[in-house]
Amino acid sequence: MLPVNGTLAQALHNPTTEQKGKTARVIPKFDELSAAAARARDENRDDEAIRLYQQALAVRPAWPEGLWYLSTLYYERERYADARDVLRRFLTTDSTAGPGWALLGMSEFQTHEYPRSLDHLERAMSLGLGDRKEMAQSVFYFVGALRTRFERYDDSMTFLMSMVKSGSPIDLLVEPIGLSALRMPLLPAEIPADRREMIRMAGQGALALEAQNRTEAERLFSEMAKSFPNEIGVHFLYGAFLLDVRPGDGIAEMKRELQISPFNTTARLRLAEQYLKDQKMDQALPLAEEAVKLEPDHPPAHMMLGEILVAKEDLAGGIRELELAEKGAPQMVRIRWDLLRAYTTVGRKDDAQREKEEIEKLNRPGNGQ
Amino acid sequence: MARRAAPRVYFLLMVAVLRFLLAVFLATSYQATPHAQESFEQIAKKAQEARTSDHLSDAIALYAQAVRLRPSWTAGWWSLGSLLYDQDRFSEAQDAFAHFVKLSSRPGPGYAFLALCEYENRDYGGALEHFQVWSKYGSPGNDALLDVAGFHWALLLTREGRFNEALYLLAAKAQKLGGTSAIVEAMGLASLRMKNLPENYPVERREEVWLTGKSAFYSTAREPRRASEYADKLLAHYSSEPNVHYFRGTLLEFQKEYAAAEKEFEQELSLNPQNDAAMVELSLVKIEDFQAPEAKPLAQRAVALEPRNARAHYALGRAMLETRSLPEGASELEVARQLAPESSVIRFSLAKAYEALGRKSDAQQEYAVFRKLEEKENASARPPQRGISQKASEGSKP
Repeated sequence: MLPVNGTLAQALHNPTTEQKGKTARVIPKFDELSAAAARARDENRDDEAIRLYQQALAVRPAWPEGLWYLSTLYYERERYADARDVLRRFLTTDSTAGPGWALLGMSEFQTHEYPRSLDHLERAMSLGLGDRKEMAQSVFYFVGALRTRFERYDDSMTFLMSMVKSGSPIDLLVEPIGLSALRMPLLPAEIPADRREMIRMAGQGALALEAQNRTEAERLFSEMAKSFPNEIGVHFLYGAFLLDVRPGDGIAEMKRELQISPFNTTARLRLAEQYLKDQKMDQALPLAEEAVKLEPDHPPAHMMLGEILVAKEDLAGGIRELELAEKGAPQMVRIRWDLLRAYTTVGRKDDAQREKEEIEKLNRPGNGQ
Repeated sequence: MARRAAPRVYFLLMVAVLRFLLAVFLATSYQATPHAQESFEQIAKKAQEARTSDHLSDAIALYAQAVRLRPSWTAGWWSLGSLLYDQDRFSEAQDAFAHFVKLSSRPGPGYAFLALCEYENRDYGGALEHFQVWSKYGSPGNDALLDVAGFHWALLLTREGRFNEALYLLAAKAQKLGGTSAIVEAMGLASLRMKNLPENYPVERREEVWLTGKSAFYSTAREPRRASEYADKLLAHYSSEPNVHYFRGTLLEFQKEYAAAEKEFEQELSLNPQNDAAMVELSLVKIEDFQAPEAKPLAQRAVALEPRNARAHYALGRAMLETRSLPEGASELEVARQLAPESSVIRFSLAKAYEALGRKSDAQQEYAVFRKLEEKENASARPPQRGISQKASEGSKP
């Protein structure tokens, strides 16, 4: 008799079963089931394959191959919650299986368990997906979109642009990039109908900029700013573009953004940076100070304030802010460069040397910089 | 003879092969499987070793084997449940924790884990019940458990329509953990009085929920201008959606901008005339704004719509007290007390009512209960009952 519930070990260790000589019958049964399941799967008889894998797994619950194939069958049949549950069992048997984490994260995306989904998709990326290019593309797409939803806009933008560079289909990326550029924590499916056009313009503009097509980028950004003048993020995005082209116009756009969203730390910092570049310290300093006040745990705010204080020759104050920034974002090379220069100026040679070594470490390939 | 012997030889050979296969299988495919002769102690020891050395699959199998051999092994059920929970295997973990709480003499934290598993397995009724049991044990657990359990409990309270209680819990989490995406989303749902979980509300409402959540979070963080910025954006796009004006009204009410709050509640009622929450808040705002006679009919309508709404009875009781209908006011507050016996603000108002009626002893008793409850609300992870207290309101509309 085939044990339906419980492990094969249980069946094998049941003295009664052993005495009756039934153990020998169990193994071929499992083999038969697993072979039949594989055959059904190969022949695209999915429902039958699912049933057979379920039966085989009832005999041997921790059978990795069975768990994997059953989960892929569930996923293909859009039975995402079932796929998710089986994958969780699969990953207990092998926690280093990148594709397993990927499929789990993708299933959780479909069941709207977004925090877990992102966590598991990122784990999949760190473990690697082998030569599964299609799966990798899906994983990257979901990761980019989810990072935006979790307000990790800089991470998501860098990531999405790296997808563009590596040849991912651009059409698919317009909306995720637009959302990230406008700093709207939504998935493409969650875009309000009345602003889809705005988001697409932002995405297309950012893509044009990435492709060094500044004329097209400006056309799109300026049209977006004209069509949606009261929306958050629109003037910031256009302003950030203009700061590199016509800084005066860029400053005006940033100020417009701050009128619409007075607590926008990013716009404040970008404006402060521009004033620092223009050596207008008296205008730069209050903006950076306000940014620190608004977001006391935001390393770029401390970095900007530190840079301005150093430029104003308040080295002690500048170093204090830069060290706070470094504590919050030890991977940011720019902060370490700032500190290296500041330490060197005040003669703190050992500290400067340490920063230099850290910069070298961070700049080594594979350090994610 | 040779022909007769052949089957026998063949049979023996097959038995040997099968024995060999069985031995290989046991040695390789299921290394952690204990041998039949192994004692419970040996298996338990192996399970603990597997766990320590991070062989989770083996550890799970061994703990499962051990608790089958000795179902009374409480620590085994706990370890098994924890391992499965850490692997997000909630269905199996739920079973383990259910055994644990039945057997353990100190089941407190087990109830939180049981409830968390039930939440994941979509047994929301069970989860809510077991969070309550956990609370009765004093909400034991480390910081991480308190955070996760409190957060999920708040989600369930929202789903149940107990929005103020949910917001009370979420405000405490927000103060501790900051405005994480998850907390913002949960605050948005509760503030909009949506009986949804984060994983199952309509995608087209995401931005509305996010803007509301941000606004609610900044209110909790005592940053009214930032709260207003998000509320303004919310109104710019979603002014005709249910409870948007109500939410804006609660923000203004907290900032003691009663006239502006009144307008928002009135706007909500013009869009949704049966919105009892807006009626109650409008009534309370009018009381604060010295318009008790106008507050009374609103509270009466709310009570008629939701006879078991403690906050509606509280508003009506207060309106009656303010209009010098003292015995009637005290009666309404007594109804409110019956519905929400652990609400400190009801006790406080009732004490005042008794005082005005000259019932000194009753007043003293209510004041004493009020002080105790207030202390408890400050110290406990548990939301105040029915979320009627001012503290609860502060969570939702600081």
